[in-house]
Amino acid sequence: MENEEKLSQQDSLRLITMMINKAKESYHDTGIGAIMWGAVIAVCSLVRLSEVHFDYQLPFDIYLLTLVAIIPQIFISIKEKKERKVTSYDDPYLDYIWLGFGITIFLLIHISNNIFGEWGSWANEYRNVTGKQAPFRFGEYVSPLFLMLYGLPTFITGAACKFKPMLWGGIFCWICCIVAVYTAVKIDLLLTAASAVLAWLVPGVVMEKEYRLYKKEQAQLNV
Amino acid sequence: MFKDLDPILHSQLRLAVMSLLISVKEAEFIFLKEKTNATAGNLSVQIQKLKEAGYIDVIKQFKDNYPQTICKITTTGIRAFEEYVKNLQSYLTQK
Repeated sequence: MENEEKLSQQDSLRLITMMINKAKESYHDTGIGAIMWGAVIAVCSLVRLSEVHFDYQLPFDIYLLTLVAIIPQIFISIKEKKERKVTSYDDPYLDYIWLGFGITIFLLIHISNNIFGEWGSWANEYRNVTGKQAPFRFGEYVSPLFLMLYGLPTFITGAACKFKPMLWGGIFCWICCIVAVYTAVKIDLLLTAASAVLAWLVPGVVMEKEYRLYKKEQAQLNV
Repeated sequence: MFKDLDPILHSQLRLAVMSLLISVKEAEFIFLKEKTNATAGNLSVQIQKLKEAGYIDVIKQFKDNYPQTICKITTTGIRAFEEYVKNLQSYLTQK
């Protein structure tokens, strides 16, 4: 682009529009993080479902996999930040939303584990005295709480980045949240796995494809 | 009565740089070079002019032992750009 070319008013407006569009098109997430978390949550939910269905127990809590997944996520975030040549106005806010989401999830796990601990002994006592299962099963209501939270950052990211697969993924999590309130634990786990696939795994694959295409176009332009 | 268009902004490359920077929080020099298809030398000169006018901030730092230049539009730059677009629109509507 030469600087000394004479600009008409129409040329100026055209140039401004073209550059603003070019800037908008340059936001590309690698999608790796979304793919990883979608896969991890889906696997955890399905393994827990198989534990409940086939009545066995792994020697460890499968959800510990989510803690392990934080390590590659840190590396992914550092790598993406290093490769980023441009920062949008939304980037820092979205980073904080996902960080806040992670903290909230772990707080919810802590709270629900505590409730399970307290309520579990009460439920056992009730069973011993009456010979019947306790009428209220706390476990039935855990998945909807998580699904409600899954929907929030996914919906906001989808809306802020104008990325429809994630926007719909967030809405799907909330629909599953409502359904899971009225269904048994097994269905809840299935809905959680489906939400993870539709809210993160599928959008992640779409993002990754778009990113690869963008990289290929950039490489061709720079030849 | 038409207002004169800001001569700092009424230049193809400087306007392109400002249009890119108004849409983002900050951008690396290499990003501006890729999007404008300008030569590094020409782009450096125009960025310097925008910096001298107070329209952009230029941060020079090192990233993985390589020099990195980050450009960021200033409040003065945003105001000047908005004024430029307003004047441009008044030209076009009066025609």
